[in-house]
Amino acid sequence: MQRLLPAACLAFCWMAALSLAAQDLQVPATVRAGSAFTIPTSGSGSATFYLIGPASRTKRQVQMGQEIQVKPQEVRSAGRYLAIVRSGGTNRSVSFYVLAAAPASLSFLAHPSRIPVAQRGGIIGVTFVFDKWHNLVRQPENVDFRLAVNGGPPASQTVRSRDGVAWLRMNSGSKAGNAKFVATLRGIEETRVIQQVAADPCHLQIKAERNAKGVLVETAPVRDCSGNPVSDGTVVTFTANGAGGLSTVDVPIKKDIAQAELKIPGPATISVASGVVMGNEVKVGGQQ
Amino acid sequence: MKQSTGPCVVQGGSDTRLRVICALAAVLAFSLGSFAASAPSVQFDTSHIGPRQMEEITGRNIPRDWGRAWQTMAVALDHNRPDLLGRYFTGFAQQKLKAAIAAQQRSGLRTRYIDHGHKLAAYFYSPDGSAIELHDNADLEIQVLDGNDLVHSERVTLHYIGLMTPAADHWEVRLLQSVPSF
Repeated sequence: MQRLLPAACLAFCWMAALSLAAQDLQVPATVRAGSAFTIPTSGSGSATFYLIGPASRTKRQVQMGQEIQVKPQEVRSAGRYLAIVRSGGTNRSVSFYVLAAAPASLSFLAHPSRIPVAQRGGIIGVTFVFDKWHNLVRQPENVDFRLAVNGGPPASQTVRSRDGVAWLRMNSGSKAGNAKFVATLRGIEETRVIQQVAADPCHLQIKAERNAKGVLVETAPVRDCSGNPVSDGTVVTFTANGAGGLSTVDVPIKKDIAQAELKIPGPATISVASGVVMGNEVKVGGQQ
Repeated sequence: MKQSTGPCVVQGGSDTRLRVICALAAVLAFSLGSFAASAPSVQFDTSHIGPRQMEEITGRNIPRDWGRAWQTMAVALDHNRPDLLGRYFTGFAQQKLKAAIAAQQRSGLRTRYIDHGHKLAAYFYSPDGSAIELHDNADLEIQVLDGNDLVHSERVTLHYIGLMTPAADHWEVRLLQSVPSF
């Protein structure tokens, strides 16, 4: 009997330790970032509590039998956490996930910064949705995109985010100028500016007039197909085909108009082009 | 994807100085390698990527840099070395890891990641190529040490969402967030 007693005590202690170890720590099923919660414990005596998170490490003494208070600042980062309680050589642990809080900011990428008007799908907007602790919000959210130039009709579209990202392609507007490209979600607004510039010239028209020095050719105000004045510096090419053969002059547009003086003594046909756009032809007679 | 140092081959027998330099380089590479864990293996799947298709060179660089990022993170957390995070982590990802290391230094803790490999999938590649969102299944052994005492050890497969953006000659991790599932 005297021999059996220590063995029985040992077995009892071993079973008790196993039973203690088997008691899992209980944490809430869902923890939102920055939310306080408690972890109940049983037993007595002091223990060391560890909380290992993506951006934090906590180590402090706790009393077994009392609830462990987890502070909001200890669970600000979304991700997997490990809660460990070490008491009398026994470690108990539980892992849990902290989920992102409500959306608080948008990371908005807009591309390009400068684009010709009326480009189909030329503007790209990408937003990543974050909470106030810079965690990616994976829960689907509606992000509104709006593109507008002062005085022009705005274009807007709503995109539902998936895994924290919402993106779209938009056509550039028909009016040149600085376009405000705005992404909005639940009152959070991010704005980027995209410079919409005139597209290629449309309906190039020239007139030609002989004077004492040669032939003065001049375009009508050069505009794109949406009616926007084509940017100064855009090159217009005048080509004269006369008795002396072909001669070509490249001229930049200045204040909406391109003009050149061609030294052609005889009759000629003059044409105009800019990029891939051709204009009209005019015929001029020879010098009197 | 294993990182490897290039072979140092000296042809002919006359250039003794070059041989000495090679020998020193080999010793240096060995000593650095023994300090740093080797980059983990990364299997990369681009079959579900969109909307932009991935260029061949980017398809090689993303898993390479993802593996190197994990490698540097493991060493930084094990040795409490925030200075190692600068090359492969940026933005919030770097800030959060630095905060974790600062907290470890205050409390005398270390975290050791024994990395058994990654199954990485490209999820979203922005049309302008400026950002890529990744889904990673990481096979990890995680040890928590208080001083030299092992407080916790586990082997787990964890799911991570990563956001990478291009730097001058490599890709950087801008977000690293573990999630319950994809």
